[in-house]
Amino acid sequence: GRRPSGAPIEKDVRSTIPDAFSHIPMAKRIPTSQAHKDVHPAVLAVGQQMATFALSDSISRLQATLLAFRKVIESYETPKGNSLSRHFVPHVLNPQIEYLTECRPMCFAMGNAIRLLKGKINKFDINTGDEEAKEGLLEWIDFLINERINLAEYAIARNAALLINEGDTLLTYGRHRLVEKTFLEAKKDGKSFEVTVIDDPFERSGQDLAKVLRQAGIPVLYSPNLGGLRPKVAAATNVFLGGEAIFANGSLHAPSGTADVAMSAANAGVKVIVLCETINFDRDRVSVDSLTYNEIDPERNSAESFRLLFDNTHDKYITGVVTEFESGGGNSPAQAI
Amino acid sequence: MAPSQASHVPTLDGLIKSFNNQSLEASIESLIFLLKRRQVKGDECAKATAYILRQVVAKAKWNDVDQLLSRIASAGSRLARAAPLEPVIGNVVRRVLGLIRDEASEDRNADDIASEAASDIQTLTPATNPSVQPPQRPALPHRPTLSALSSGLQVSKSMFNLLSVAEPGDSPMTGASTPMSQAQPASIHSLRSEVMDGIEEILDEINQADDQIAGFAEIQIHPGDYVLAYQPSRTVERFLVKAASKRRFTVVIAGLEASGAGTEAPYASLRKRLNSAGVKTVNLASNGLMAYIPRVNKVIFSAKAVYQNGGLLVDSGSCIAAQAAHEYLKPVIALCPVYKFCPEDPSDEVSRGELGNPSDYVSYANGPAVGALDVENTVTDYIPPDLVDVYLTNLGPQTQHHLANILADHYKTEDTGFSLQLGEP
Repeated sequence: GRRPSGAPIEKDVRSTIPDAFSHIPMAKRIPTSQAHKDVHPAVLAVGQQMATFALSDSISRLQATLLAFRKVIESYETPKGNSLSRHFVPHVLNPQIEYLTECRPMCFAMGNAIRLLKGKINKFDINTGDEEAKEGLLEWIDFLINERINLAEYAIARNAALLINEGDTLLTYGRHRLVEKTFLEAKKDGKSFEVTVIDDPFERSGQDLAKVLRQAGIPVLYSPNLGGLRPKVAAATNVFLGGEAIFANGSLHAPSGTADVAMSAANAGVKVIVLCETINFDRDRVSVDSLTYNEIDPERNSAESFRLLFDNTHDKYITGVVTEFESGGGNSPAQAI
Repeated sequence: MAPSQASHVPTLDGLIKSFNNQSLEASIESLIFLLKRRQVKGDECAKATAYILRQVVAKAKWNDVDQLLSRIASAGSRLARAAPLEPVIGNVVRRVLGLIRDEASEDRNADDIASEAASDIQTLTPATNPSVQPPQRPALPHRPTLSALSSGLQVSKSMFNLLSVAEPGDSPMTGASTPMSQAQPASIHSLRSEVMDGIEEILDEINQADDQIAGFAEIQIHPGDYVLAYQPSRTVERFLVKAASKRRFTVVIAGLEASGAGTEAPYASLRKRLNSAGVKTVNLASNGLMAYIPRVNKVIFSAKAVYQNGGLLVDSGSCIAAQAAHEYLKPVIALCPVYKFCPEDPSDEVSRGELGNPSDYVSYANGPAVGALDVENTVTDYIPPDLVDVYLTNLGPQTQHHLANILADHYKTEDTGFSLQLGEP
């Protein structure tokens, strides 16, 4: 939201990236006129929103992508002599995906959903009628959004709210949708507790969370940066963190600074609870540091000012992960994906 | 936090010059004013305190050692109270108090070495040769021993501290220094000039400390290193620039605040100097540091104070840098000149951190929504000793276990208790 919308598009923005980080991808604005001719207008719009971070967290990106794909499917007509199951993915879907990836590296949830979608399409019998196949895909996308996004959010907030007790002091970092829902849910249950919001001064999304919680009648202590983190964490009962993804080795991919908060809390003996939808789990990739899978902040990508968007929290700092299906340790990624 | 009207902040040099042209009281008041506004900070506090105390020695009325000690303690505690989170002020005051005791005892030793002092030696330290001989190094600072800790009275009776003998119940500042209280003007005069020379030496030490620490740079920094410098202070800057003259490495500068558009990139001059020496720099605009530590070889920052237990008072955020480095077993090097060593344990206030102005982060124009929030902008951190690998002082690198020696070499046990209450005027 706070990113200026009219920033000039440089030709070689990657040339300023310091050597040590030159392997890490970065979101890029592609003028709509330069996009591939087959890219659907709905997807074009989503790509622009991702490149400008108007859509930034994994679930909103996933949802926007699925809704755009819905439009792509609706407007799709199988050419004569072809079937949807053979033609749609290579000739229609893939250019959309390529374009989206160019705008910003795909998040893990998008990768999972696209894999599931392709699997669904492959399962169609070659003789399935065009309309029938399209109808099936649209239904399936609605089901996915409902089940893995909407219901997941509801279930996680319910499950996590049960972990909050009367009189707790809870600490969180930045603003994560699931953490916010959980706190509001617990408040609705009539529990009284306090929240410490630690913010990232380069994002300041925690400030919005602080205001929302305050308006719900929850006492909030707001700290604009990681200064004085040790004593603040030590005073907390639980730390609630939201995640962008969880890797096969159980480590958490989350906004930069999350690992610092989790580490500090774990070292102070405070429980660290991570909230994450299963659609964000990646069972194929393993990441043990923050320089393997990450993204460079496109606004801070030079030696004058450099920033990575995410960091990697080792599962030893995570007490538990709450998903819509089950709650477990960070190193035992949910079975149900 | 830089004051918004930077042009109204006098430079330290300007301030010190002004001391000469105004009365002692006016000088003290003007420094107190600046300390309270946090416009004199860190090592500037140490220098300014030393200059003020020199003025006290030169200008205040005192007729004997006790009076001088009490003048220094009273002026010192006023300064210390103005900036409770600048322990260097108290350190300099202690150093000056110790210096006065040394000079006074030296004078006295010269006078009475054959009489009273010698008998003290005989009674208190039977193991030493009782024959009358002048102490080999009278100026050697007093080291507390085991017996010293168990019996304060004996300590203060020891030969070097005759002038500060404290009877139980006495004010800690005054002592029964009978001979000196009726001292002749000549010896007062010489004491005055000796103490002023001594303060000059302390000032030299403060001024040279950064260069001396920088002298150890090439030992600590190796070719190809990625060095994370957290909010590089002048001490750290000098260290890095010195290292850059010998080594090719990369400096990752962390601890930047979000700066508004159009402002100059932070640490521009440091980066320019390092770059021109062939050292690469990266300004991290990041809150969290765990992401970068795997790439980094060591973490360097400077301490605002080092406590007796080895804990550090540092700029806010340094603690997360130290913790993150510790997690990845990367060395944490704290640059800390000896004058920042504080013979006290950290207070609760210190371990919680000093709170700063939150308005840089929250707009109060935002009305009730923000008004109802408790905003805590912590500006200092406390780092426990187990997170620090090297204490790099101007006397060389030290570990936590040898800090007691440094404290013993620089402060007198009588003065370690110097604190805000003791000096109430």
